[in-house]
Amino acid sequence: MAGLVTADLPARSRGVIGLLEENCTVCMLCARECPDWCIYIESHKEPVPSVQDASPPGTGGPAAGGPAGRGRQRVRNALDRFAIDFSLCMYCGICIEVCPYDALFWSPEFSYAEPDLRDLTHERGRLGTWMQTVPPPPAHDPGAPAPKELLAAQAADGRPGTGAGARPGTDSGPRDRPASGS
Amino acid sequence: MTPGPALTPDAIADRLRDAVAAGSPAGDGPAVLDTEITQDIVTVTVAPPAWVAALACARDELDCDFFDWLTGVDELDAGVAVLAHVYSLAGRHHLMLRTLLGGEPRLGTATGIYRGAGWHERETHEMFGVWFDGHPRLDPLLLPDGYGKVPLRKDFVLAARRDRDWPGAKEPGEQEAARGRRRPPPAIHDGWPAS
Amino acid sequence: MAAVDLPSPRAGRDLSAAAVPGTPGPGSSVPGGMASDTVVLDTGRGYALWVFDAGLACCAVECAAALSRVNGSAGPGPVQANVFIVAGTVTDKLAPLVLQAYQQVPDPKWVLSFGACSNSGGPYWDSYCVVKGVDQIMPVDVYVPGCPPRPEALLHGLDVLAQRHPVAGALAGRP
Repeated sequence: MAGLVTADLPARSRGVIGLLEENCTVCMLCARECPDWCIYIESHKEPVPSVQDASPPGTGGPAAGGPAGRGRQRVRNALDRFAIDFSLCMYCGICIEVCPYDALFWSPEFSYAEPDLRDLTHERGRLGTWMQTVPPPPAHDPGAPAPKELLAAQAADGRPGTGAGARPGTDSGPRDRPASGS
Repeated sequence: MTPGPALTPDAIADRLRDAVAAGSPAGDGPAVLDTEITQDIVTVTVAPPAWVAALACARDELDCDFFDWLTGVDELDAGVAVLAHVYSLAGRHHLMLRTLLGGEPRLGTATGIYRGAGWHERETHEMFGVWFDGHPRLDPLLLPDGYGKVPLRKDFVLAARRDRDWPGAKEPGEQEAARGRRRPPPAIHDGWPAS
Repeated sequence: MAAVDLPSPRAGRDLSAAAVPGTPGPGSSVPGGMASDTVVLDTGRGYALWVFDAGLACCAVECAAALSRVNGSAGPGPVQANVFIVAGTVTDKLAPLVLQAYQQVPDPKWVLSFGACSNSGGPYWDSYCVVKGVDQIMPVDVYVPGCPPRPEALLHGLDVLAQRHPVAGALAGRP
């Protein structure tokens, strides 16, 4: 007698890949590094209105833009299509590792078998819903040094000498120094 | 055999060179062409006529009784190189033997020295087109019957990669890849016909 | 594939009593409508969905892990099977034999492709001697993605097969 159970899987188990679309800047690194060529990205450039456009010239509105007082027309990449073909995917994780903006995440879900091969290509909507199944990252090891970002933030706040750990509850001590080469 | 003190890579190279030179007939040109030592692994390049003799010397003089692998490397214009890696269990030293075959690649079989080279030579034959004289049965091993082509040569076209558009060819924000587009990753050889 | 009209011996039986302990509650189902169902593959009680695993490569290990719970140590051969699972890379050299094994399976039969290699060639999509997906040589009913898929993913794939194909579902004991 066999039953279907959702196994109790650790975080970052390689079940399926989720896309956090807000973080994606369409840098194309994942599509380039994928060994199977299974990430399909289409995009176009969109102008982002500069602050200058908000107040017509000559009205005495607030000065805007850069040092010349005129906003430079900025352009951003807008994602049209982001698809991962899971029939080809070999779950190596290179796309997730290489993404500089943390837009891709592992999810432990594995129950997405399909009767049609074309349905195994997940488009960005479905990749977005997988994000809801991404578990929170596991806690840091108690003996690990504090994350560099928190130490930098503390230093910027002007509290370098508190000696407090990165997180409340951790003890202070040699671990507070910024990790070098860790 | 009692294991002696461990041989240094230089000692291995010297001993092999001496043994091969002693065994090869004079006037055939130098048998040992090159010796390279990289991270304690000795690679000795021998002339093709001295290949079998070099393997025999490795087994007899250097106690390399473990045959690890034999394969080929397509060196483009220089021809096809055949490499064999042997190891001495008693002396715990590695030895890599290498030979370079120009023109129509033919080499003596290693099966007389190391019986285990049989399947390795069959694979090298079907993948690189090297003929091994004296091999008992040089039939294809892994490729389907009647394949006919030599896949691991560098001029062999991987049709799937040539015919499929690389998704990473587009620049961010581009609708379609430009004409002088970014090169796809390796395994696509220069000079292949465009799809 | 011939359609065989099999009376369902389970008709009218309340299967809720057969729910497996440990099945996930509603909180663990995936948004988007994919529920983690309870599957009853009751292979020990008179009739069964016999599953033959054509294990060709690494996926064979995961498939065996899943099917050992169902088949025990001795699984069916192709001639006794209903479901033909292709698990692993289908090389050009082995493809005729895989097809021959498939042809030995009597009707009604269904094919389940397990893993990226048999779905589409997978990591070897560019190889010179790999069939790019077993559906190039035989019709496939369900594709299970993964490299390799978990054993539980195979059970889910068999569940999808039983949902989409009523005859298979009847053999599997679904109402």
